[in-house]
Amino acid sequence: MKNYPLWKSLIVFLVIFSGIIFSIPSILYQEDTENWFLENKINLGLDLQGGSYLLLEVQSDVLFKEELENISDSIRLISRNFQINLTDINIQDDQISFRFMNSLKLEDIRKEFMKNYNNVNIVINNNILKVIINDNFKKSIRESALKQSLEIVRKRIDESGTKEPLIQRSGKNRILLQLPGVKDPERIKELLGKTAKLTFHMVDDEDQTSLHSNKAPFGKLIVSDFYDSTTKYLVEKKSRVGGENLIDAKGSFDPQQGHAVSFRFDTTGAQKFGKATSENVGKRFAVILDGVVITAPVINSAITGGSGIITGNFTSQEAADLAVLLRAGALPAPLEIIEERSVGASLGSDSIDAGKIASIIGMIFVCIFMILIYGIFGLLASISLIINLFIIIALLGIIGATLTLPGIAGIVLTIGIAVDANVLIFERIKEEFSKKTKTLSAIKNGFDKAMSTILDANITTLIASLLLFVFGSGPIKGFSITLSLGIFASMFSAIMFTNFLVYLWFSFSKKKEINL
Amino acid sequence: MFGLNKIIPTNSNYDFMKLKNYFIYLSIFLIVISVFLLSFRGLNLGIDFKGGTLVEVTTKTSDIGELRSVLSPQFNDVSLQEFGNSQTIIIRLQNNSNEESIETINKVKDLINDKVEEFRRSEFVGPTISSELLWKGLQAISFALIAILFYIWLRFEWQFGFGAVVALTHDVLFTLGVLSLLKIDFSLASIAAILTICGYSINDSVVVYDRIRENLRKYKKLDMKELFNISINNTLSRTVMTSLTTLIALFSLYFLGGEVIRPFAFAMVIGVIVGTYSSIFIAVPTLLLFQFRPQDDE
Repeated sequence: MKNYPLWKSLIVFLVIFSGIIFSIPSILYQEDTENWFLENKINLGLDLQGGSYLLLEVQSDVLFKEELENISDSIRLISRNFQINLTDINIQDDQISFRFMNSLKLEDIRKEFMKNYNNVNIVINNNILKVIINDNFKKSIRESALKQSLEIVRKRIDESGTKEPLIQRSGKNRILLQLPGVKDPERIKELLGKTAKLTFHMVDDEDQTSLHSNKAPFGKLIVSDFYDSTTKYLVEKKSRVGGENLIDAKGSFDPQQGHAVSFRFDTTGAQKFGKATSENVGKRFAVILDGVVITAPVINSAITGGSGIITGNFTSQEAADLAVLLRAGALPAPLEIIEERSVGASLGSDSIDAGKIASIIGMIFVCIFMILIYGIFGLLASISLIINLFIIIALLGIIGATLTLPGIAGIVLTIGIAVDANVLIFERIKEEFSKKTKTLSAIKNGFDKAMSTILDANITTLIASLLLFVFGSGPIKGFSITLSLGIFASMFSAIMFTNFLVYLWFSFSKKKEINL
Repeated sequence: MFGLNKIIPTNSNYDFMKLKNYFIYLSIFLIVISVFLLSFRGLNLGIDFKGGTLVEVTTKTSDIGELRSVLSPQFNDVSLQEFGNSQTIIIRLQNNSNEESIETINKVKDLINDKVEEFRRSEFVGPTISSELLWKGLQAISFALIAILFYIWLRFEWQFGFGAVVALTHDVLFTLGVLSLLKIDFSLASIAAILTICGYSINDSVVVYDRIRENLRKYKKLDMKELFNISINNTLSRTVMTSLTTLIALFSLYFLGGEVIRPFAFAMVIGVIVGTYSSIFIAVPTLLLFQFRPQDDE
C-alpha cells in the first residue's frame, strides 16, 4: 500500500470503525437505557414513535384588555374624587379613551393617574383623555404571561402523568408541546383549555334592581351561573381570596353533595378567608371559576381552618381534573391550540418498517446496478455505500438528532445520490484510461480531477438542505438533517474510502489494465 | 462486465447543440402550460397550507360509503378518500375558526367511533399557522435560489449562475405543473421535495459547467457550440448514471416507503428526470446567450 499514505489509512479506519460501533445502539437496541454508550441512539420523532404535538398561543390580547379595565377603574375613581363627570368610556385594542363633561381638570387627573402608572402614553384632546399602553409595556405583559404559562402548562402536564413531555417556548407568544406516546390528546387539551382562575367573591343579594337591569354599579360585577346561564349573581368586583393562595386541592366524595373538590389555603389565604366569612355570616359567597359561578353557598359560620370544599354537579373525573388545575395554578391568559398533530403508534411503526424496507431494497438495487456497470469498481463503491449508511446512522445517534419520516426519505435519497461522487471519480478514471494513461496514474488523476466537481456539486445541495433546516418545521428539519449528514458521509466515503479500496485492490491484484 | 455497461454511453459524440432549438421550444411550451396550470388550476394545497382538519382511520368494514353517510350530513365540507388500501381512509375537513376546528376532531371521532378499528393520525392546522407555513416555504425556496446563484457566481462566472438558475426555475415550474395537473396533495414535504430538486438540478448543471470551464482552458480556439457538445458528452455517462441510481432509490421509496411519503417521492422522481434533462438542454444552451471569448479567455 505504498500509494496510499498511512495517515489517510488511519483516518479511514478510525472513521469506519467508529461508524460501525456507534451505529450499534441505534440498530440493535430499542429500549431506553442509562448506559453512556447505548445512549447514542437515534431518537425517533413523534411521527415514527407515535405521540402528539401541540402548538399553543397565549392570548395576550385578553391581558391588554384586563389592563385597560384596571386603568378604567383607576381613572373613574380619580375623576370621582375630582368631582368631574365622565360621560363615555371607549376601549379599543390597546387604548382607552374617556370623554368628560368638560376639560377643566384633565391635567390634574393625568398627574394623579401617572403616580401609579408609568408604562402608558396619555393624550389629552379637549375633553377627551386617551390612555395608550405602550409597546414596552405590552412586551413585558406578553413576556411575563408566556413565562407564567410555560410554568403552569408544565405543572399541569406533569400532573397528568405524561411521560417525557417536551415543553418549550416558541417565538413571542407560543408554547410547543411534544407528548410522546400520547395517542389521543383529548384530556391534555381539556387540561390546557381552561385558565382555571379561581376567586371567592361576596354576593350582593340586596341590590336586586341592578341585577334585573343587568347593569352593575361601580365596584360590582354581574356573573352568570355555570350550570344555568340565566341565573345571575351580583358580586363584588374585588375578590376576597383567590386560587393563588391555595396550597392543595383534591377530588373528594361527599355522600350528600356528590363529587367535590376539597382545598386548603396557605396562611394568608386562611386569614383572608376567615376574615371574610366571619364578617359575613348569613350572606352568600360565590366561587367563581373562569368567569362563571360554580357554587354560591350561604356562610353558616366563620371558616377559620383554611380549608373547605367546592361542590357542584361534578363527575369524579371533572372533580379530579379541577383539582389538578387548582393545584397547578391559573394561567394568566387563555391558551389557544393553533396546531395539533397526533400519530398513533401503529402508523409510526408501519412507517419505520416501510422506511427500512425502502432503504434496504433501494440499496440492494443501487449496488447491483453499480456492479453491473462498473464491475469490480462497482463492488468497491457498493461497500463504500454500505459504510456510508453506517456512518449516517452513527452520526444521527451521536448528535442525538431526531429521526422523522421525511428523515427516512432523506436517507433513501442519500443512497441514490451518494454514489454520485463515486461515479464522477470512475468516469474520470475511465477517461484517463482511454487516453492510455498508466493504471496507477490514471486512478490518481481521476480522483484529483473529480475533486473540485464533487465539492461544487455537493455544496450546492448542502445550501438547499441547510435552508430547509432554517425554514423547515419539525419533521422537515429531520429531512434536512439526514440529507446534510448523508452528503458529508458520502463525500467522505467516496473521496477517502473508495479511494482507499481502489488502491488496496490494485496492490493485491497487481493488474496493469482494468475493465471499467 | 456482462456487457451491460454498454447502456451507459461512453465516448459518446452526440450533437446536442444541433438539437437544442427543438428542446428549447419544447421546454418553453411545457413551462407555459405549467404556469397556465398553476395560475388557473392551482396546487392542491393540503391542510399544512390551507388549514383544516385531517383524520386517518382504518375501518372495520372497508366501507367508505358508510362513513360518508355518517359524516356528510354533519359537516359542510368533508371529503373522504381511500389511502393506499380500501380499509384505510383519510377524512379531510375544511377550516373554521380555531376553537371550532379543535372540537371538530372530537366530533368526527365520536360520530364514527363504532365503525373504526383504529385512529391512525389526526392533524389540525389553524389559519394563522397555515399561512405562516406557506410564507416560510416560499421564503426558503427564494433564499435557496439566491444562495445558489451567489455560490455559483462565486465559483464560476456570473453567466453560469444565470444559466443554472434558469435551468432550476424550469425544473421547479415543470414539477409544480405536474403536481397541479395530477392534483397531488401539496404539503410541507412537497416544499422539501422542491428544495431538494433545486439542489439536485444545480448539482447536475454544476457538473457540466465544471467541465465546460475546464474545456474552455483546454481548447482555447474551439467554437463554443462544439466545446459545449464535447463537455456534455464528456459528462453524459455520469449524468445518466447518477440519475439512474437516484431514480432507483426514489422508486424504492415510492413503492415501498409507505403512503404518507409517496407524494414526496413522486415529486422527486419528476424533479430528477426534468433536472437531468435541463442540465443538458437548458443549462448549457443558455450560456450561448453570453460571450465567453475573448474577454474571458485566460
